[in-house]
Amino acid sequence: MQLIKPGTLFKSSLFLRSVFVLSVVMLLYISSVSYKHNQALTESSELLVHSYKIQLQLERVLSLLKEAEIAQRGYIATSDTVMLRPYRIAPGQIYDSYLRLKSLTIDNHEQQFNLDTLLQLINFRFKLMDLTLKSSEAIPFNETELFINLRQGEHLMDDIQAQINKIDRLELLYLKNHQQTYEKEALFSPVSTFLFMIFSLLIFILSFLKINKDLHLLKKSNEQLLIINESIEHAEVIGEFFIWQWNQSTNELIFSDNLYRLLGVEPQSFTPGIANYLEFIHPDDKHIVAKLDETAFKEGRSDPAFYRIIRKDREVRYIMSVGKFIQDEDNKIHIRIGKDITEQYLSNVALEERNHELEQSIKELESFNRVASHDLQEPLRKIQIFVSRISEKDKGIMSETGKEYLTKIETSANRMRILIDDLLLFSRTNKAVKVFEKADLNLLLETANQELAHNIEEKNAVIQSDPLPVINVIPFQIQQLFVNLIGNAIKYCKPGIPPEIKIECTKLTSDQYPEFIKDKRKKYYKIAVSDNGMGFEQQYAENIFLLFIRLHQKSDYPGSGIGLSICKKIAENHNGFIIAEGHPGVGATFSVFLPA
Amino acid sequence: MGPMHILLADDDEDDRQFFKEAFEEIKIKTYIKTVNDGVELMDHLNQKGNQIPHILFLDLNMPRKTGIDCIMEIKQLPHLQDMAIAIYSTSSSETDIEDTFIQGANVYIKKPSDFNSLKKILEDVITINWQYHTSGLNRDNFMISL
Repeated sequence: MQLIKPGTLFKSSLFLRSVFVLSVVMLLYISSVSYKHNQALTESSELLVHSYKIQLQLERVLSLLKEAEIAQRGYIATSDTVMLRPYRIAPGQIYDSYLRLKSLTIDNHEQQFNLDTLLQLINFRFKLMDLTLKSSEAIPFNETELFINLRQGEHLMDDIQAQINKIDRLELLYLKNHQQTYEKEALFSPVSTFLFMIFSLLIFILSFLKINKDLHLLKKSNEQLLIINESIEHAEVIGEFFIWQWNQSTNELIFSDNLYRLLGVEPQSFTPGIANYLEFIHPDDKHIVAKLDETAFKEGRSDPAFYRIIRKDREVRYIMSVGKFIQDEDNKIHIRIGKDITEQYLSNVALEERNHELEQSIKELESFNRVASHDLQEPLRKIQIFVSRISEKDKGIMSETGKEYLTKIETSANRMRILIDDLLLFSRTNKAVKVFEKADLNLLLETANQELAHNIEEKNAVIQSDPLPVINVIPFQIQQLFVNLIGNAIKYCKPGIPPEIKIECTKLTSDQYPEFIKDKRKKYYKIAVSDNGMGFEQQYAENIFLLFIRLHQKSDYPGSGIGLSICKKIAENHNGFIIAEGHPGVGATFSVFLPA
Repeated sequence: MGPMHILLADDDEDDRQFFKEAFEEIKIKTYIKTVNDGVELMDHLNQKGNQIPHILFLDLNMPRKTGIDCIMEIKQLPHLQDMAIAIYSTSSSETDIEDTFIQGANVYIKKPSDFNSLKKILEDVITINWQYHTSGLNRDNFMISL
């Protein structure tokens, strides 16, 4: 399952945010460009209308002037005063147009000036027309004067026409200039707008793709979450644990279903809350849970805790709980995992009880040892001393049977002494502090031989030994081992034949003695002590290591039957083992295996 | 030289008897005094005018005050510093041997189970050159056996 890396969606949202900002900026730009474009268009048309208005007024002025002239001429020709009516109203109307023109060109100094000049020329024209009228009515009629006036009027009209044309041309020039700038702008803005539109479209497409991908990822991670949730829920039931989530930022508490199950109630059957949970806590442990909550809140610490709950069915269960804080940008969540450890706890308690009992019985054994070592020895020692006193002082005056009985008492007491001593030795082999140190086995053998010097001499025993290794052992125990094995070999010799004892040492290869050596990587030394003594039936090979097992009559061979048990114990203390091989009448071999 | 002063602290009447009988048969002039337990022993040693013995034979397992307790007390008393201490016990356990050695006993004798051995070992102990024996306190010759 490929998990979505945390942060991918966050990065994605950052990308989307920047795309959004960019898009808004571009849309604003496009709108402002179109708005400006529209403005320019309106301005141009207004300007056009403005120019036409000026032209219209100028034409009106000219036509009014011409009408006045025609009216004057008509009157001169007909002397009909009706003819003069247009001439009478023309100045007012022209002035009206003049005012309009003035206001239309109010922001244009040059045109204002031109208009004023035009007005002057028109005024001249009207004065001249008045003069012409007077001269036509003059009595006597002066033809020449009229003529001159008419001609002069003609010239003035030309001047007026010229002035009007001038104003008109200027206005057209303005219009033309404006048209040119407008055309320039109008050409630039559509292209850039179009480009921006394309660009925006691209970005929108990109964003769409990105959002689509994110949605896909989101869907996938949702699926994964679902699987994980299911797994956790399943794990909770199997593992008998529960999860408790406390969002400290929103104070929202979530209990997992298994928490309810472990309390013995239906999932989500009560509102998650400390107080509700506390109702299930064992009265003696309520303070633990309450304190847990407090430290988590006040000190931001989540301590492990161990407490008891009482389930709905009144069964007491043991809960171990550990917690952790999870912090993201906005929330601090305290998560606690609680586990029902009742079974482990109870078996632990049982184990502890067993341990205690064991310790108790070990102590009893120890005190038994003490009894054996001290209290049993005391009376025995006294019996022995008294016997030795009697045999020394009063043997002379005793009857033969008395002497024989005394000897038997002595033998029994000695045997008792050997038994107690060996038993003590055995128990000490068991419980002695096992201090391992590197020791030269040759030296230990040497010391053992010295200890047995008396017996060796008595029986003329010959001891041959291979060189022995230096290994990690408990020295005094290995020495005891040699004493016991060699001592046995001497003790169980054939009557009249001096014991020959061989001590051979070999390092084992891994595939030998598979029935004893389970771990083939371990290396062992085999130290074999063999003799030419009485030997034994192989069927007893295992039994002879048992405590108090004897193969021979004790009257023939005094002994406790503990010596070989001690040897076995010593081999085991060294993580080794011992085996015996016997051939009746030929001899016996005892092989000790010690880890190299 | 006058008789050697020897003191035995042992709660066992038979052992005190054997002890005295053994010395009767040893041909060295000795003066034997016995006490019945640790408390009696300390009373005797602290009693002004009592002769401080040359050697104290001390049983370990005694009621009221054990042998170990006695050694510890003795080692605190300046007037008893020259007295040799021989442990005289049935036990031959490593712990007892180790503990008494550490506390400053001079020799350790395991009570023999034979009267002749007893005589021999007691004779050995009182003929030890103590000057030599105590100068080099040595764990190896602490335990005396036959």
